[in-house]
Amino acid sequence: MIESHHLANAAVAALAALCGVTAWRGRARLAALWTRRPLAMLAVGLYLLVGALDSITWVGGSRGTAPTDLVALQEPRSVIDRLFPPDFRERSYSAPLAAVEFYDGGALRFPGRHLLGTDILGRDVLLQGLKGVRVALLIGGVASLIVIPLALAAGMGAGYFGRRVDDAVFFLISTLSSIPTLLLLIALVMVLGRGTLQVCVALGITSWVGFARIIRGETLKLRELDYVAAARALGASDWRILRRHILPNLTHLVVITFVLLFSRLVLSESILSWLGLGVDGSWGQMIDQARDELARDPIIWWTLATAAAALFGLILAVNLIGDALRDQLDPRTTR
Amino acid sequence: MIGRTRATRPLAPATARAAARVGAVAALLVTGLGACTNNPYPDADAAAKILYLSYPVAPKTLDPQVAYSTVDHVVTGAVFDTLLEYHYLDRPYRLIPALAEALPRPEPRADGHVTYRFHLRDGALYQDDPCFARGGAGRTTRAVEAADVAFALARIADPQVGSPVIDTFARVTGLRDFSTRLAAARADAAVAALPAHEQYARAGGIAGVRVLDARTLEVELDAPYPQILFWFAMPFTAPLPWEAVATYDGRDGRDRLADHPVGAGPFALARYDRQARIVLSRNPNWYGVRHPEWRAPGAVFPAPGARDDADGMLRAAAGQPLPFLERIEMRREPEAVPAFIKFMQGYYDTSPIIRESFDQVVQRGALTAEAAARGLRLETAVMAGVYYVGFNMDDTVVGAAAGERGRALRQAMSLAVDATEFLRLFNNGLGIPAQSPLPPGIFGYAATYRNPWRQPDLTRAAARLAEAGYPGGIDPATGKALRISFDVNNTAARALLQFQFLVETWKGLGLDVEIAATDYNQFQDKVRRGAYQLFQWGWIGDYPDPENFLFLLYGPMGRAHSGGPNTANFADPAYDALFEQMRALENSPQRARVIDAMRAILERERPWIELFHPEDYALHHGWLANVVPTSMSLPTMKYWDLDPARRAERRRAWNRPFPLR
Amino acid sequence: MLAYLLRRLAFGAVTVVGVLLLLFALFFLVATPDDVARKALGEKAMPEAIAQWKTNHGYDKPRLWNAAAPFDTMLAEHLRRMLTFDFGRSDADDTPIVERLREGVWPSLTLTVPLFVLGLVCAVALALLVAYRRDSALDRATQVACVVLMSVPILLWIVGGQYLLGKMLRWFPISGFDPAPAVVLRFLAMPVLIGVLAHLGQEVRYYRTVFLEERNRDYVRTAYAKGCSPSQVMRRHVLRNALIPILTNVVIEIPFLFTGSILLESFFGIPGLGTMTVDAINGNDFATLRVMVFLGALLFIAGQVATDLAYAAADPRVRLE
Repeated sequence: MIESHHLANAAVAALAALCGVTAWRGRARLAALWTRRPLAMLAVGLYLLVGALDSITWVGGSRGTAPTDLVALQEPRSVIDRLFPPDFRERSYSAPLAAVEFYDGGALRFPGRHLLGTDILGRDVLLQGLKGVRVALLIGGVASLIVIPLALAAGMGAGYFGRRVDDAVFFLISTLSSIPTLLLLIALVMVLGRGTLQVCVALGITSWVGFARIIRGETLKLRELDYVAAARALGASDWRILRRHILPNLTHLVVITFVLLFSRLVLSESILSWLGLGVDGSWGQMIDQARDELARDPIIWWTLATAAAALFGLILAVNLIGDALRDQLDPRTTR
Repeated sequence: MIGRTRATRPLAPATARAAARVGAVAALLVTGLGACTNNPYPDADAAAKILYLSYPVAPKTLDPQVAYSTVDHVVTGAVFDTLLEYHYLDRPYRLIPALAEALPRPEPRADGHVTYRFHLRDGALYQDDPCFARGGAGRTTRAVEAADVAFALARIADPQVGSPVIDTFARVTGLRDFSTRLAAARADAAVAALPAHEQYARAGGIAGVRVLDARTLEVELDAPYPQILFWFAMPFTAPLPWEAVATYDGRDGRDRLADHPVGAGPFALARYDRQARIVLSRNPNWYGVRHPEWRAPGAVFPAPGARDDADGMLRAAAGQPLPFLERIEMRREPEAVPAFIKFMQGYYDTSPIIRESFDQVVQRGALTAEAAARGLRLETAVMAGVYYVGFNMDDTVVGAAAGERGRALRQAMSLAVDATEFLRLFNNGLGIPAQSPLPPGIFGYAATYRNPWRQPDLTRAAARLAEAGYPGGIDPATGKALRISFDVNNTAARALLQFQFLVETWKGLGLDVEIAATDYNQFQDKVRRGAYQLFQWGWIGDYPDPENFLFLLYGPMGRAHSGGPNTANFADPAYDALFEQMRALENSPQRARVIDAMRAILERERPWIELFHPEDYALHHGWLANVVPTSMSLPTMKYWDLDPARRAERRRAWNRPFPLR
Repeated sequence: MLAYLLRRLAFGAVTVVGVLLLLFALFFLVATPDDVARKALGEKAMPEAIAQWKTNHGYDKPRLWNAAAPFDTMLAEHLRRMLTFDFGRSDADDTPIVERLREGVWPSLTLTVPLFVLGLVCAVALALLVAYRRDSALDRATQVACVVLMSVPILLWIVGGQYLLGKMLRWFPISGFDPAPAVVLRFLAMPVLIGVLAHLGQEVRYYRTVFLEERNRDYVRTAYAKGCSPSQVMRRHVLRNALIPILTNVVIEIPFLFTGSILLESFFGIPGLGTMTVDAINGNDFATLRVMVFLGALLFIAGQVATDLAYAAADPRVRLE
């Protein structure tokens, strides 16, 4: 019987294959990036690896007959999950590498094995942090992938066809920009339901405007180029011109924007979590659950630190790579 | 090339100028630090007896016939004096006369109706307000009259006012007829243009509310309802001057009544920036201030009686005239953590303890040494409320429709939940694991009662689950763990943690409980459609009578049936019959027996898994005296006293800006 | 010019109507009139009180279509009232909305205007400085610093800042607001500081790109050849010509200064228009929300037109028609 996690595994395999092919095709570019920003590339590579490992899941394969394990074992568990024991929970808080509970001093079930401590429900913080990688990559990746076609269609259409289409796109942009993003997000989550993909779609729909404007500007400039005018004179159809002349010249913009959007969208998700609309298991949710722990005395810092560090690490690496990419691709900022 | 060369030569004069500028700014900053302070209040207020409080949400309305939330009541309770009120110190709660001279006794009538006769105090005045100029130029106040109480009751019945408690007062004879007559009279434009009190007169008034003379009021009920007296201790029935309603209609730049309450209470509203700041100041016209010689029960600090008064604070205050405070300043704090930090800095005098800071203040049920050294005081008392997980009894798997199997399932799930652990994790141990819907302090609560299905025992629970036909949690129909939907109406991260705790508990039985979290609106939608199995709810009582709790399981109150608060849709004919019997009885051994029988039904049927009764606390600074925790949002600020000099000194000591330590 | 303006304004009017329709659809996806009533009256309100409330506030009419009287629907009422600027009273507590707007504008402005001005000045100055000293150690360090600043989630900025400045160093009140001129600065210092820092990273990067683009132009080379000093070049030529993209960025922000910053106002307890909007959304207060959105749309259109006008004024090559 085909289960949803089988489909997910297939999707991951397909995505990995696609990434592999793209990486091979652009290997010169990747090598150049590696030379400029080796640490950032290494970091992103690690995050991708953890995310991929967390996406491959299957059911069964562990011993144990306790009822908790039975329910847990019915669920598909990933490679990352299997690095830890099936029921790796304590009663409540414990400090990193501690042997006793944080407040009561009671004995732990797994003393010294929680590398980053446990949270209020006793869940291992390192495991939660690792599982957050997949969520963050999904959010950033999928939402960006939704933004790009929307923005391309709107921007190219507005820039190339001018008057009517431009007005229509402008109307759409104005309308969307005037509605408070918060309301739009709540309404979208309500219609689509709460879930990772739905939140990605909601984030995508609320973030394409800025990029569309940039695309429109670029298209306006490209339209006036000599060879485009020549192509039109030769009788090429609009569709052909768009596909063969304009779109390829926008590729660099798309790549740069994808990378920069990625980090912005992942950061936006933490605000969504603060509003109660976020994705379960994301770092944003960890931060929201943990931010009040700063006021405790003695202070509980490890949950917030883990989520913040993981988030910061990914975003910083992605931003640095995005910068390097832009320096390479964008003709305007080269010497 | 040229540009590059120039760029590499240092610009000495420019750099020097820049450095000088930076130095000047730095010097300014350091001197400025001396003037730095995190005190949000003007220095001039430091010596006065001003109470500082925070509130998280702005009040919705201060119209006494409409206001129904806790924040609203903090203000309306201080501004409006009621006919009766609660004794501040005695427990269980009991009523004492306030604006009324004595507690009325119910007088039964031949036709089954019951009347209550109230005598108001002679000489009680309203606060000073320009609206009284309607009765004569230059008048700023007038005496409180029985007609004002009748006016308040008529407003409750007025559909245009939209009072949320009209259902309760429908028991008053002729109230509904009055509403209908009023609506009909308003069809005439001439009548609709009149001020409210004249409209009520035109419609003939409420038949069961009779003003016998300037100070005497008689209220008639269709059937015995002893709990009606509790409603006369709430602002809904406080005397309201018709001048205020006629003047403050919101037109031509005048305030609305919802923003400009005029009452006869110990405080008056001095300033109202709803989203930021509320100021109450002592009302010099209050009968306790004008006539201390009356020694009226509501205007004099009561004797401690049976209450524990180890440090003699309550005894020192006993017999003193009220109120002690000059002014109450309230500030809006939308986020809990900054509000608590300001409390610890001395800028609020009392505060709820937030979960995150609990261990800083309390350890093993008492104040920590550090907190005690700061002079903090902590008092705890159990609130009249109950938090529970409910089953939708209309559901085919977990509800009554599943018969014996469903009952065993509910009992098994009830047996697994450990409320003590829940409280330890999420409430720092504050609260009492609940055995039944009735909290301590309410008649019918039995301290020795132990609900056999609320003593956590996973082994017995697993056995009971097997008896229900779900051995190991497996549903024989599907061969997999039984899936139950837990429909919660809160998506905030903190709340989700609590729900996850419960889910993990039932996972220990092998059940697969799935959290379906939506916001409040969607939850109501689900409830309306009956698309829910498990839910979680909390209820804080309005008044200390068992009827106010047990009605949550009364059949006709069912959500599916009539949209009432019985979200579990529990409908047991035996229970309903007992409820109707219990409702009309006064507190007596017979009533206790009826309540015991009702509890036995609930124990067996398990429509709820009772979690806990919340514990209230009063955490306040040492310079604030006479604080006694009360529930049901009772007005108590007139009893509080404080030492401003000590507060100013402590604030200074605790808040030196960083370098000047 | 006139034709352009007229066209834009007409277009703007159509947009505003579109916004109102979309808002109506979105809101009643999220909440029903019963929900609005329940939020206003409280959880304990009985069905009868809810029904009465809906009648009093016009929510018992059919939403879209009324066979008996085509214009007696909630949608028609909604459009009519907004387009005639009849704002009415809030659903949550019956306050006149105009009053709430008046109360909320000042706190919002005292926060957003200093934030905006300070942010702009700091970002432009810093960007100018590093563009001038391109590829120096300072430039590289600033680049990395900007990326680092940008990579911190804004929530952490706010929470960390409150913790550090308000609790540990005790320099400023953690939250709150008092408009009295003597003390208002105390309350604004922290939100303004944190707001500026949180956005400094991406602003500096953006302006740096703009300045660098200008710096590579031919006339800059000519200016150097003429003998201008680098600072003169930056100030008199680069900055002035870079004004156009900067202006575009700046003018479009001005309308949103009035609508307030939701996050900062919420965490720092500032009772401005941002808080009002969030409260309206959470409290299902449709009456207030539609006023906020309507005004937001108007301001947005105004901002667009102003941007185009400013663009035309700054760049003589641009002609509006």
